[in-house]
Amino acid sequence: MYFIAQIVIVILLFSIQTTWLSLFSVGGVVPDLTLIWVVYCGVHCSRAMGLGSGIVTGILQDSLSGGLLGVNTLSKSFIGWFFSTLKGKFYVEGVIPVAFFLVISSLFDGLVFYFSMNTVLKGEVATRFLYQSLPTYSFYNGIIGPVLFVALNRFDSWLKFKTSDPYMARFK
Amino acid sequence: MSITAKQEQGMSFLDSIAGLILSPFQNLFTSTVQSVSDGVDHYFDLVNVSKENERLKSEVERLINEKNELIEKIARQKRVAGLVAYQDDRKKESLVASVIGRDATQWSKVVVIDKGSQHGIKKHLAVVTNSGVIGQIIHAGLTTSKVLLTIDSRSAVDALFQESRVSGVVVGTGEEQCQIKYVPNTADIKVGDRVLSSGLGGIFPKGLFVGTVSKVVKKKQGLFQEITLTPSSDLSKLEEVLVFLS
Repeated sequence: MYFIAQIVIVILLFSIQTTWLSLFSVGGVVPDLTLIWVVYCGVHCSRAMGLGSGIVTGILQDSLSGGLLGVNTLSKSFIGWFFSTLKGKFYVEGVIPVAFFLVISSLFDGLVFYFSMNTVLKGEVATRFLYQSLPTYSFYNGIIGPVLFVALNRFDSWLKFKTSDPYMARFK
Repeated sequence: MSITAKQEQGMSFLDSIAGLILSPFQNLFTSTVQSVSDGVDHYFDLVNVSKENERLKSEVERLINEKNELIEKIARQKRVAGLVAYQDDRKKESLVASVIGRDATQWSKVVVIDKGSQHGIKKHLAVVTNSGVIGQIIHAGLTTSKVLLTIDSRSAVDALFQESRVSGVVVGTGEEQCQIKYVPNTADIKVGDRVLSSGLGGIFPKGLFVGTVSKVVKKKQGLFQEITLTPSSDLSKLEEVLVFLS
């Protein structure tokens, strides 16, 4: 049940990301809901789930963006692994820590893309990407992230309550 | 007779007095009863009016929705008519498709259209609007396809300037604008110059509008100019596109 719910969340987030999220673009930049979800899974779920969410999301993004094979898989799975491995070492609760770690994750995600495109993939990414699009993207994720974290937390609690033992649930 | 007349005179006098005394009360009672009756009637009327108001409100809402749908349909018809006119002008076999999705990542500039291989779409077909080139097919699924937009950093279109006929390569930057590479410093390029597809590369037919020059930087050192190009269409607001099938 929990696993199916996570699949539904991924489908929902991808659907929003690829359809009407562009309505909220700031200077052509939109937040990355799936990145926020990967960080959330890394922080709140098991290590396997954190890493798995990164790999699955990255592969899906790579396949949907048409031939940018590997860049998103690399960055998202690293982010998922990083948070699921080190979640006990630092505190990722509350608006400011969540926003901070999302900004850092977004910067990492963008830098992986930039250096992959400009070196291995021989693309043409303008240098102003580093001082215009990337900071906007990171801060946008940092603003939207805590809100999505709260929503995912609520959904998680509700789901755990629904899927728990009905006898024990009475005492919660 | 005279007795009766006297009695009648007396009665009419009493009547007048009684009438005089009672009439204000009668008026009061009548008007009270009337107003209560009116109130009750109006209350029931109001209940009906309230119900009717609800019904009319929902009717107005339905009509507004219908109107919006019709406006949207008319707008779509106009856009499609523009594409069809463009299609007729080009005299090439083509297909109108709707944009149903956008890129899944921040960094790629790809749109998904609602036509795939079962509609005759295959890889490396040119995709345009009536304003000009917007991209090429990079993946054709059964019912949907992915279009790599000209602003994507992986995109390259061989192009030439309409006036000077100097050639260059339009490459995406991953942002709202493109750049034209390999235009020699000696070439006379001005802001506002129109750029067309050259036909080289085999994807885009010759003469399609690619964009307009928005910035030119000539460096003292180096062989080539730095030219920024505004694409032919606003690629963030694509709704219908035309795919050239040959």
